[in-house]
Amino acid sequence: MSTNLGKAHLLRCPPGTSLQDGGRALGANYGIPRSGAMDLHSYHWANHLLKNPSQAVALELVQPGLKIKFEAPCRIALAGATVAVTVNQVGISNPSLIALDTGDLLEIGAFHIGARLYLCIEGGFQVEKYLGSGSDFVSITGTATRATGEYLHYLPTHSKAVLQAKPKWSTDWFEPETIQAYPGPDWALLSADQQRILLDQPVHLSKLSNRMGIQLEELVANELDDLPTNPVFPGTVQLTPGGKIIILMRDAGVTGGYPRILQLSEDAQSRLAQKKAGDSIRFQLLPTH
Amino acid sequence: MKPSYQHISPTLGELVWNAEPTDELLSIQFAYLNYVQTNFSSTILEVRQGFTRLSLLWKNLASQQEFARLVETLYLNPEPLPEKVWQVPVCYHPEYGQDLEDFVKSKNLSVAEVIQLHTQGLYRIHFFGFLPGFFYLNGLSPKLHLPRKNVPALAVPAGSVAIGGKQTGIYPIQSPGGWHSIGRSPLPFFDPKQTPPVWAKPGEQIQFVSITASQFENWKDADTKNFLQ
Repeated sequence: MSTNLGKAHLLRCPPGTSLQDGGRALGANYGIPRSGAMDLHSYHWANHLLKNPSQAVALELVQPGLKIKFEAPCRIALAGATVAVTVNQVGISNPSLIALDTGDLLEIGAFHIGARLYLCIEGGFQVEKYLGSGSDFVSITGTATRATGEYLHYLPTHSKAVLQAKPKWSTDWFEPETIQAYPGPDWALLSADQQRILLDQPVHLSKLSNRMGIQLEELVANELDDLPTNPVFPGTVQLTPGGKIIILMRDAGVTGGYPRILQLSEDAQSRLAQKKAGDSIRFQLLPTH
Repeated sequence: MKPSYQHISPTLGELVWNAEPTDELLSIQFAYLNYVQTNFSSTILEVRQGFTRLSLLWKNLASQQEFARLVETLYLNPEPLPEKVWQVPVCYHPEYGQDLEDFVKSKNLSVAEVIQLHTQGLYRIHFFGFLPGFFYLNGLSPKLHLPRKNVPALAVPAGSVAIGGKQTGIYPIQSPGGWHSIGRSPLPFFDPKQTPPVWAKPGEQIQFVSITASQFENWKDADTKNFLQ
């Protein structure tokens, strides 16, 4: 790394914090998951505020407790969950876009609404890209998450950053229960009863959820055999032989052998990424085309 | 072997073959894969292969609809499959195949018979999936089919050669896994520092070659080079 880069010191890095961008679209031919921000909507919004290039690398946070010291001036943008933010221990009422100076200490406290926060920095965090992406994935970047004590690198702004715009972030878009989905390739294999169970009642996110997938609490009795292994994508909903419903997320493998019963819309994937264990969702079927 | 086209979302759809995965089907899939990549390169974002599907991710609905119309009248000749056969050394020993002894008992075969059956076949690589660098291989002898384990192992070492259901495969990296490990190969199967990160391509074939525990233990980079020519 060039010595002209600014450094951000992770004085405290909560578990699950990772670097993410739009993902590794070219990896699937080698079995490499897409990865990238779980909530792309928020990721893109924060990058847009900073006029960042596409694929700018951001921090994805899933827990409070981040303490990060910036050793050169920069602009950052936050989007996703609403959280308590302080700079040098002073609360920031609208933390969408923040200018930071040398030595400034940023702290992220409680998550109020939502499950994932995106911390984007002007120009993006500078990391080695692999197959067009800097997203953390253990077998590609050697680590799945970032750790306390690490430094992240960025392109510093030359003078103290000044901000004109005062954008306001709203979480209205992800708060409703509705999760829109298209019928998956194997939807027609389900009985009318199975389809009804999935559509007529709210279902709940279980604690078994991570960047690979989100398992629901409810079971759908299922007699379907495994199918030949075929492609799956982020947002593919699988039904296992045990009746578990698993919604595949960004780090899921690129193929699977369970029936693929639904395919979430792009927007629904971002909404779902902001839901927590125990939250209810309601699938709404969209026409295929 | 003419596929149908199934829309999934406005930008995602797939070519569907309701047939068993075979060399013949793979040749047809390659024909469609090449056709799409050659003629739709400006509107297709990704083509992803499975045993009986080709999934197509489009930039927009219009390009997907155009392709869906066109495919109804499209007739393509099968692409010839590559002739390359990769030899993959495997140490079939309980030390390296944690489930070898249980597998042998379940199948009522001797270790020698399992080795003989597993090494005599040629396995066609259909695509990569499940894990980075994991080959989906076709061609396992029905005498070696065994349903996956009820309780997956938490950590299957990289290089493990395993059987799950009607398939055999190699774990390219350490991972949890539900297949029965019957041996281990000393070759590397996935290296993100290399471009491409894998050394074989879909359509090529794999042949397993039995090696001894002492050969495995004394394996050198030069031996890897000999195998991966």
